[in-house]
Amino acid sequence: MAASSESTSATTVLYVVVVVVAVLVATVLAPVVYSATTGSGDSEGPSVAVLTLRGGTSGANVAAISEDLRQARNNDSIEAVVMRIDSPGGAVTSSEEFYLAMNRTAAEMPVVTYVEGYAASGGYFGIAPSDAIYVKPSSLVGSVGVVATLPSALEAQNAQVRNALRTGPDKQLQTIDSVREELELLQNAFVGTVMEHRGDELTLSRTEVSSADTYRGTEAVQNGFADEIGTLESAIQRAASEADGIEDDSYNVYYKEPPSITASIILAEGDVESTNGSIVYVDQGDEEAGTDFVPPVRYYAVYGIPESAVENEEVVTNETG
Amino acid sequence: MKPAEIARPLGVFVIVIVVILAGSAVLGAVAGGDSGGPTDGQNVQGQSPEQFQPESVNPDVDPETGEISVDADDGTKKILIDTQHSNAFDRDDIEPVVEALAEAGHTVDFTPSGTSDSGGFGSSSGGYNATLQEYDALLVINPTEGFTESERAGLQTYTDNDGRVVVLGEPTQTGLSGGGLLPSLSTVSFGANDLTTQYGARMGAEALYNLDDSANDNGFKSIYAAPESTSSLSEGVDTITLENPGYIVRTGESDATVLYTAADGTKTLETRRNGTFATVVRNDNLVFVSDSDFIDQSEVYDADNEVFVSNLLDFLTSGDKPDDVPETSTEGTPGGF
Repeated sequence: MAASSESTSATTVLYVVVVVVAVLVATVLAPVVYSATTGSGDSEGPSVAVLTLRGGTSGANVAAISEDLRQARNNDSIEAVVMRIDSPGGAVTSSEEFYLAMNRTAAEMPVVTYVEGYAASGGYFGIAPSDAIYVKPSSLVGSVGVVATLPSALEAQNAQVRNALRTGPDKQLQTIDSVREELELLQNAFVGTVMEHRGDELTLSRTEVSSADTYRGTEAVQNGFADEIGTLESAIQRAASEADGIEDDSYNVYYKEPPSITASIILAEGDVESTNGSIVYVDQGDEEAGTDFVPPVRYYAVYGIPESAVENEEVVTNETG
Repeated sequence: MKPAEIARPLGVFVIVIVVILAGSAVLGAVAGGDSGGPTDGQNVQGQSPEQFQPESVNPDVDPETGEISVDADDGTKKILIDTQHSNAFDRDDIEPVVEALAEAGHTVDFTPSGTSDSGGFGSSSGGYNATLQEYDALLVINPTEGFTESERAGLQTYTDNDGRVVVLGEPTQTGLSGGGLLPSLSTVSFGANDLTTQYGARMGAEALYNLDDSANDNGFKSIYAAPESTSSLSEGVDTITLENPGYIVRTGESDATVLYTAADGTKTLETRRNGTFATVVRNDNLVFVSDSDFIDQSEVYDADNEVFVSNLLDFLTSGDKPDDVPETSTEGTPGGF
């Protein structure tokens, strides 16, 4: 009897231990199973995503903001995007990427921009597809133009050409004329984009836009470069009101942290991979690693001059723009 | 230990795990809605914006065709290209012009620079006028220093006696100088206003620009100009492209005739004034053009520039100046030393 009672209590202890261990194991596994069955869908209510771009439209910054935009598009709970921007633009190539990412997003959901500081040149290129642009008096927009670094780069290249054997007369050779043609081409794409998206709002002609003037917020609202004077929250309200999936005030606001400065330095230096599902994005950053060659002429959709120009008194001409 | 004593706890262990995991799976499926979510392919969608298509973007490029031709109907002439007035141009840039003149049998010389090469030449204006005497025509490109009073007097006599003068100038502008690692900005002005004013024309205060793509040659400062009146200098020309032009102001009751004006919509660069801007004027035997880059190798075949340049060279080589003009004595040209 005593032995039987001992055996029963030992069995009870054993079952308790077994159940506790099982619960612990299951607790560890449960989130995995849960997320596997929820898939990529987000169960939260409809949201407005606030994305932030502070800094130039460099390759790294644009890669980061494009990824943010892509995540917003692919997240079922996000019904609208607010782009908070303070950017003087940057390289033409990455500015075009910024535009394409914004354009793609604006085709799917309302995109409203709040110009925190600058949305000039390449920055404005990107926000042109926005459904609405909110500014404050000190916001600065415009500068729809392209500049090329000249002429020392051309001289360096033309000197280099004399040290090389080439297969054709145009190989490795650019002239002022050819740079101008390229500038004109890039400018046509830029001005064409602004006219395509803002043409109905603008009181300025295509020719006037291409003079590349900048406008403060209050001027911009009058000439159609921007739509409303307001704050970030005005932009959020506008985005929510234009979203099909949002009724009244029943929405959340999701603030996506802007990429940190350190992160963007790392991004610029090394290859970056981001994965979503089975698609892998590899970003080479601004410089092609592992080569000693650089483009002789670089084209920028930018408002301002490089810091190095100020420090070293080197001059970047914009006279051919 | 009997097998049942191991199997039962093990069974309980498995059942508890299965129940909890199944429960969370059901919860997840319910909360997640669609099963598995969209595939990557569903989110991939390319774009090809209309404003990015080649027909909207690719610029029109002026064909660089034609050739510079100079005739020698009036015999072979000697042409002097001025280098005495800090003329801002590179000799290699005007090789096509020199070549065309030489091909027609004319002689082209540059005035020696500085005073070291002084065969009758030098800083003295008497020397300048003495040299002029040997030539039938003078081409002055982008002078940044003025002509002395005696040089101007000599040139007046020169043109009064069918000596031909062409002055190509540029408006005041800021440019890079010094080159190398530390170029500096400097302002360069047209130096020969005193001379051209003698002929009723002077360089305007500003450069010109035109943003209209149909009025410029891939650059807002590279504008088109068209003949204003029919003359030997406009023969065969529809449009010329001026690389970096200013405008010409006629002074007082000027006799100068406007031959070319800048395209419609052209404005002044600093003050954005609209207007009809003269870019080529002629007064008797002097022609004044408010741009000096259109004869450069890179520009001379753009638009109808080669025809205009041919006309200018024909103008230069069709004078009939007596050999003793201008006089080299100090008579009428005091000073200069």
